[in-house]
Amino acid sequence: MSATPALTAPRRRGNTGIALSRRAGMVFVLPALILFAVFIAYPLFTALSYSFFGWTGILRGDFVGIENYVTLFTKLPYSEDIPNAFVHNILLFFGAMVFQNTVGLGLASLLHRLSRFKRFFQTMYTLPYLVSPLVIGYLWSLMLSPLFGPVNAVLRGIGLGELAQPWLGNPQTAIWVVVLVTAWQWIGFPVLLYGAALGGIPEEIDEAASLDGASAWQRFRSITLPMLVPAIGTVSVLTFIGAMEAFPIPYALGGSQGNPAGATDVLSLLFYRTAFESGSSNAIGTSSAIATLLFIFIFGISMLITMLLRRAERKLF
Amino acid sequence: MMRRRILTAAALLTGSALLLSACAPSASSGDEQASGDAVTLKVWSWRTEDVEAYNKIFDVFEEEHPNITVEFEAFQNTEYNQILTTGLAGSDGPDVPMVRAYGQLQPNIEAGQLEPIDGKVEGLDGIAPSVIAGAKGKADGKTYAVPLATQTLQMFYNKQIFEDQGLEVPTTWDEFIDVQEKLLAAGITPMALGAKDDWILPIFADIVGSARYGGSEFEEQVLSGETDFNDPDYVASLGIITEMEKYLTSDVVGVSYTDSQIQFSSGQAAQFPGGSFEIATFRNQAPDLEFGSYQVPVPDDAVLDAPVSPAYADGNFAINSKSTHQDEAVELLNWLATPEFGQLVADELNQFSAIPGVEYEDAAMQEAWSNYEDGQAPYLLLVDFRYGEPLGTAVLGQQVQKMFLGETDAAGAAAALQTGISQWFVPGE
Repeated sequence: MSATPALTAPRRRGNTGIALSRRAGMVFVLPALILFAVFIAYPLFTALSYSFFGWTGILRGDFVGIENYVTLFTKLPYSEDIPNAFVHNILLFFGAMVFQNTVGLGLASLLHRLSRFKRFFQTMYTLPYLVSPLVIGYLWSLMLSPLFGPVNAVLRGIGLGELAQPWLGNPQTAIWVVVLVTAWQWIGFPVLLYGAALGGIPEEIDEAASLDGASAWQRFRSITLPMLVPAIGTVSVLTFIGAMEAFPIPYALGGSQGNPAGATDVLSLLFYRTAFESGSSNAIGTSSAIATLLFIFIFGISMLITMLLRRAERKLF
Repeated sequence: MMRRRILTAAALLTGSALLLSACAPSASSGDEQASGDAVTLKVWSWRTEDVEAYNKIFDVFEEEHPNITVEFEAFQNTEYNQILTTGLAGSDGPDVPMVRAYGQLQPNIEAGQLEPIDGKVEGLDGIAPSVIAGAKGKADGKTYAVPLATQTLQMFYNKQIFEDQGLEVPTTWDEFIDVQEKLLAAGITPMALGAKDDWILPIFADIVGSARYGGSEFEEQVLSGETDFNDPDYVASLGIITEMEKYLTSDVVGVSYTDSQIQFSSGQAAQFPGGSFEIATFRNQAPDLEFGSYQVPVPDDAVLDAPVSPAYADGNFAINSKSTHQDEAVELLNWLATPEFGQLVADELNQFSAIPGVEYEDAAMQEAWSNYEDGQAPYLLLVDFRYGEPLGTAVLGQQVQKMFLGETDAAGAAAALQTGISQWFVPGE
């Protein structure tokens, strides 16, 4: 039998034109894989495994199954704190969404038409985003102080004294302060992202539509908006993750207990309290259960939003 | 972009898990170095601001104990618990660590990281029971550490304002109310309080209410299960808070603790209900401020007939059970329990020593300390009710905020406190 050259040639040949054996390929992937395993996969699975055990201080006790998870939903303070904090996380998400997709998008389209000072304003709007959120939260708490804060002083100075109030001391206003400060800090992000997306829309389409007699609103509604859907999707998912993980701003404005009276409590604060300020010797078990639930929720919903948006995009184009 | 962001999210979330995994128990490695004559003891602390003072203090010890060298190392307060947990689990931890008190000490004891010192260290008998309780194991009742400092809770007052308004330190409840009314009439905020920070509120509750509910008498009864926080006397003590509301900083729940400190130290409020740890802050913020302190007088129908200063232990020194220099560590702890060290704590650290028989140079400190010696009480929720989740202090702090916001009353707050601590507290144990 004569060997055919085709059979002796390497079987795996990608369209890159480079032939690599599986083993050599693995060697190249290995560094990244090790980093991923050590810094992401390992802690992730440790937290998961920790949440199934009882703990005495730092000594691992018996396997307790889902008991730590049951505790979260049946025992005080968790059974009250979790729904309370969760609602605030959701408020943060919707508040930020509304703010970014109205004010953020509006600013981005205004800036898009601007020929001069565009960069300047973009930078201005992005500045708060570059400052640590802990610092932002602290500055706002100073500004809103009923004793020494300038906000109430200005309100009184311009004759709006009735509006002056303890912004962070009233549960009805405190959570909205957190929502608005978060949205305020983040505003530069949608401005940048939407700005880039707007720049990517070919002007010819817009021109053709206006030649056909479409009004400005019609052009925005039928051309700009649909073409922005991918950007809106990205902003939504990132906002969702940001809102669910919110920690520094609520912490700076309301402390680890979500003051006043739990009005600014969020899930990460609950995790922080349980893990680092708890009097319970099973702190590791309970806090690991919170961390695991939070991760599953963020991961699941983010995947869902992405899937839905992909489907919507496919319909559009 | 998005996927990477999700990974970042995973990394962030699990970063906290990584912290936890750093606490994973590790096998002990006995690095036995037969101790000759010269021994170095590693002492760890979270008091980064006191490093110089501690070096001076341990110089005194080294002079008296030439065979021992003390190596003092301080870590960031907020990170100390994690650092210590890792240090005690490993082999190169401290010989003598500064440890937390009461509930926060229990994880280290339960993990068997600290050596009991009963019968090894002398001079602990004179320490107030509520203070030495901060160094004991809840489960076994053994003593694991020497208390370092005591914090007392009382009412500070601005001497200048009192003089200007012709006011005297009140000794009866009526005089106390009279002082507040006169200040209010003069347009001065009687008391500065920052109720936006919940942790100050149980402190405030005990300053005005401890004598009303019965201080350590009530402590005994509630621990044995004879009564609970729904007790009419405890409810009445919380009722005093509502009675005080009109004398506090306006918009009190919106005001932060630091703002209230400035309000007092800048002379915008006449009094400040707070802990002895405030003295150093006030001295820093306003070196010229003349202030003193008093115990809030006993209200009518109070269980106790004399006023008290609630107090608690703040910090302990313990022995790492893995230390290879046990004898020298015991020697050091014995010295830490002497009045000589107590006096150094007073002079160098400006703290109240847990050891009796110490004199304080600072007039405000001496005054607060004499008051405390005349009438002692435990800062109940910190001393006895921080051994489980939820912490008693955290529950009451939030409830008092709700009282100020009109969402609950004294009876409701007391009931919520009882429900909260019942999650883990079993009377009589």
